[in-house]
Amino acid sequence: MTSIDARAAVPVEEVAAPGRRPRAYDPQRRRSVLLTVLLWICVLYFVLPLWWLVVSTTKDNSGLFSTFGLWFGGNFALIENLQTLFTLRDGIFLRWIANTILYSVVSALGATVLSAMAGYAFAKYDFPGRKALFSITLGAIMIPLTALALPTYLLFASAGLTDTPWAIIIPSLVNPFGVYLMRVYATDAVPDSIIEAARVDGAGENRIFWGVGMRLLGPGLVTVFLFSLVGTWNNYFLPLIMLNTSDLYPLTVGLAQIQSAATAGGGSQALFSTVITGSFVSIIPLIVAFLFLQRYWQSGLATGSVKG
Amino acid sequence: MTSAPALTAERATVPPPKHHTSTARRRQNRAAYLFILPFFVVFIAMLVVPLAYSGYLSLFESRLIGGQVFAGLANYARALTDPAFLGSLGRAGLFFVIQVPIMLGLSLLFALALDSNRARGSKAIRLLIFMPYAVPAVVATLMWGYLYGPDFGPIAQVVRALGGATPEFLTRESILGAMMNIVTWEFVGYNMIIMYAALRSIPAELYEAAEIDGAGQFRVAWSVKIPSIRPAILLTVIFSIIGTFQLFAEPSLLNTIAGDAVSNSILPNYYAYNVAFLNQELNYAAALAFLLGIVIAVTSYVVQLSTERRERKERADS
Amino acid sequence: MKITRTATKLGALAVVAAFALAGCSGPSADGGGGETGPVSQDEIDEALDTPTELTFWTWVPDIQNEVDLFEEKYPNIKVTVENVGQGLPHYQKLRSAIEAGEGAPDVAQIEYQYIASFVLNNSLLDLRPYGADELAGDYVDWAWKQVAPDEAVWGIPQDVGPMGNLYREDILSQAGITEPPGTWEEYAAAAQSVKDATGSYISNVGATQAGQMIGFFWQAGAKPFAYDGKETVGINVNSDEAKAVADYWTDLISRDLISTDVDFNDQWYQGLANGKYAGWLTAAWGPVFLQGTAEGTSGLWRAAPLPQWEEGENVSGNWGGSSDAVLASSENPIAAAELAKFINHDEESALMLATEQFLYPPQQSVLDDPAFLEQESEFYGGQQVNKLFAEISETVDTDFQWLPFMDYVYSSYEETMGSVIADKGDISAALDTWQDQLVSYAEDQGFTVE
Repeated sequence: MTSIDARAAVPVEEVAAPGRRPRAYDPQRRRSVLLTVLLWICVLYFVLPLWWLVVSTTKDNSGLFSTFGLWFGGNFALIENLQTLFTLRDGIFLRWIANTILYSVVSALGATVLSAMAGYAFAKYDFPGRKALFSITLGAIMIPLTALALPTYLLFASAGLTDTPWAIIIPSLVNPFGVYLMRVYATDAVPDSIIEAARVDGAGENRIFWGVGMRLLGPGLVTVFLFSLVGTWNNYFLPLIMLNTSDLYPLTVGLAQIQSAATAGGGSQALFSTVITGSFVSIIPLIVAFLFLQRYWQSGLATGSVKG
Repeated sequence: MTSAPALTAERATVPPPKHHTSTARRRQNRAAYLFILPFFVVFIAMLVVPLAYSGYLSLFESRLIGGQVFAGLANYARALTDPAFLGSLGRAGLFFVIQVPIMLGLSLLFALALDSNRARGSKAIRLLIFMPYAVPAVVATLMWGYLYGPDFGPIAQVVRALGGATPEFLTRESILGAMMNIVTWEFVGYNMIIMYAALRSIPAELYEAAEIDGAGQFRVAWSVKIPSIRPAILLTVIFSIIGTFQLFAEPSLLNTIAGDAVSNSILPNYYAYNVAFLNQELNYAAALAFLLGIVIAVTSYVVQLSTERRERKERADS
Repeated sequence: MKITRTATKLGALAVVAAFALAGCSGPSADGGGGETGPVSQDEIDEALDTPTELTFWTWVPDIQNEVDLFEEKYPNIKVTVENVGQGLPHYQKLRSAIEAGEGAPDVAQIEYQYIASFVLNNSLLDLRPYGADELAGDYVDWAWKQVAPDEAVWGIPQDVGPMGNLYREDILSQAGITEPPGTWEEYAAAAQSVKDATGSYISNVGATQAGQMIGFFWQAGAKPFAYDGKETVGINVNSDEAKAVADYWTDLISRDLISTDVDFNDQWYQGLANGKYAGWLTAAWGPVFLQGTAEGTSGLWRAAPLPQWEEGENVSGNWGGSSDAVLASSENPIAAAELAKFINHDEESALMLATEQFLYPPQQSVLDDPAFLEQESEFYGGQQVNKLFAEISETVDTDFQWLPFMDYVYSSYEETMGSVIADKGDISAALDTWQDQLVSYAEDQGFTVE
């Protein structure tokens, strides 16, 4: 059960290909009005659903179903919605946010370090079994999650680890694709000459990696970290199976739960506007992280392309 | 799975061993093993062991009455004649031939358009297209569930305002398309970023030369840019294959929204889950998941092989 | 979490992993069902005085209030209430935990139709030694029969859902209907008039809602399922009675007099609120549920018994309702049994369930309580809805059984019946497909099918 959402990966290796030079910016290029307009129309497709989400957080249940979806209308209920959301079951939503942050940050950190160590070793040492082990690592990307869900659950249960944060964090530490990326990245980012020089200076392999290697791997680390973070943050399947205590839920499972409470009868309340508000709140941190760290991960990519 | 995708990356530069005595070499090997050790400990505990356990389980048949009995490959034989499983594979195949090309085509178009640097605000465009990637599949599905709604969904509202008939997204016939759209929405930006990053690293001389020769933008894109980023494209294809066969959150949440439209066997991963948890046939589910892994591996391998063959052929032609 | 403890656990994990490789399957729960002598009052007192921690899985909102009463009475018992999901997800978690032999709660909410599936693998504790059989007389008969189909008592009834007819008086009277339809024949005629006069559907039959359809079967006297508690099941979902019900709905649906929207989603809620549906054939928990959902239509609704197949008959079916059961794996069976009993038997707690969580009570004490019965509901124009359903509750057939694999039965219903109903197809024919699927599943699972 890998933590990577199989599609969560960064294209560092393409950028870091050796022998390529970045292209100089060409100021003489003409701007095309047609292309600009076309692209912005396409952008609407990606943005309108999110716009709908923003608009809908300001509506109450009846507004949701009686006003035009893409514009404000009805009572302005944003504050009420937020209040309901954050006071729901004694403020459990805050708990879910905290859990999500904990799980994803810890697993992303761990996965990044493990990937960096393994990737560096694959890139810089020619040890017996290297090729076979690397192939196995890559092959693991293809294992479907369901193949492992139940056995993993049973194993964790026998160790008494289900329904604990470890049940989310430990499986998320395995990130075969992170290893692949770090390997390709390290190949170019850590020149052999530097390693050799350090060895000549008498530095041990460990010190070379932690002192020199890690520093040179910087941008690659950030990208692997960020995308591992997204993988765990968005993971639904694993916590759904592993956790039984709602105090331990991450946002995805929590939201799905209030959604199902909203759509199932039997003495429950219709919480549609709460689900929507919760969805909105839950995506803010990641979007902010991507915007905020934009320079970081994009420069991570760019630095990669400068190396060669 | 030793023949698993080497993707493109067999270009690791290994330090030339000639300067080293064998002691130094041994020390380095030890260091290397220590570096990969933590990863492989977790890897074995969290992947290999459960996988082996799962393979073991798949060889048994469990019944509500009578318990577990050894069944050999019976579960696999059953899967190969199980119309629900084959149907789910077929629909995943449809995803693969319809949704994946559309998604990656769009990603490529956007990446090329942005790379041409001819649009205003391309940085903002890039970020906005990428944004859905940061939305969890759970939230994306809930959101599109509302957008699709026949009575109150904004799409239906707009269509009706324009005088059209209410579009039906959440029926048995259209649900697969609805799901394809959600997945496309989620991942176009992500794939675009991969391709865009690859495009940015093409040496400028390559196509400046072509431009001087009088080749137009489209020609340059077609015969210089796209071939140069073929490895990146292959990577996105392979990830899309894997992703498609593993879709879970989308069908599972759409099922709460439109239960009549989403069959339990709509997509293979979701079917395996239902077999395990609804039908309580853990052993059969393990076999399904195993087969699924094989299908994924074979498909990825074939895709990779055919690209390589094409590349070789092109190289031979030129 | 302390490092050392974690390290130990990780060590354990490695050992287990090795075991798994060596081919040992995980531990499985056993026990339960075994014959034990009655537990003495002394033992009970002692158990309730011992500091104990219990876990209780339920999705009843705010049930913490009832649990607080219990904890007040027995301050040494600490109860953790968990909501692990509603319906299917809840049972999936429960089964996984039982399968794993770890993490299962002491007490769990279990709907009547699922009890058999937990009895099958000995996961439930027979509550007779804990004094549960003394409670039999305190519950309506058919509800008790659901938790105690044979001798053993597998749970304490929490709530029930005898079925009735909720309808919009204003819409029906626009169509010239002043009395709620007494027979299904009248109901069909009314459906036509309502559609013609107002454009509304007289009600909605959720395409995937097996619970409602089975409730109709129940009313019609069909006995689709049987289970002997061991290895023999009876499956008869395409009996003549069931087919008569199916043909009735096929006709109304194909004439577009009944809608088949999937229920309990946002579209459906709005359909109730905006008059798309002029009624809802639902269970006793429906009235309050509707109040929260269709506030804007307060005062316009009325409640009536289900229409009857034969003039002058008076029978109903049941849709929904739960019990609280004790898991066989519980290490504190006495305290757990006491909790299950207290929540659903203590007068204050039971009344609270009925008046605050609005669960429809199976407890005679509540059903006899004027404070409950004579409550007048503004939403229903001052009607005493509780009283009506108390009368209906008396008319539910007592002898309705379930199969020990209802998860599959429902999911198979969705597959075979759901699409046909949604497509306005022949429901009777779909019953045959459903029957075939169920029989073949049961046989595959090693049951003897009668």
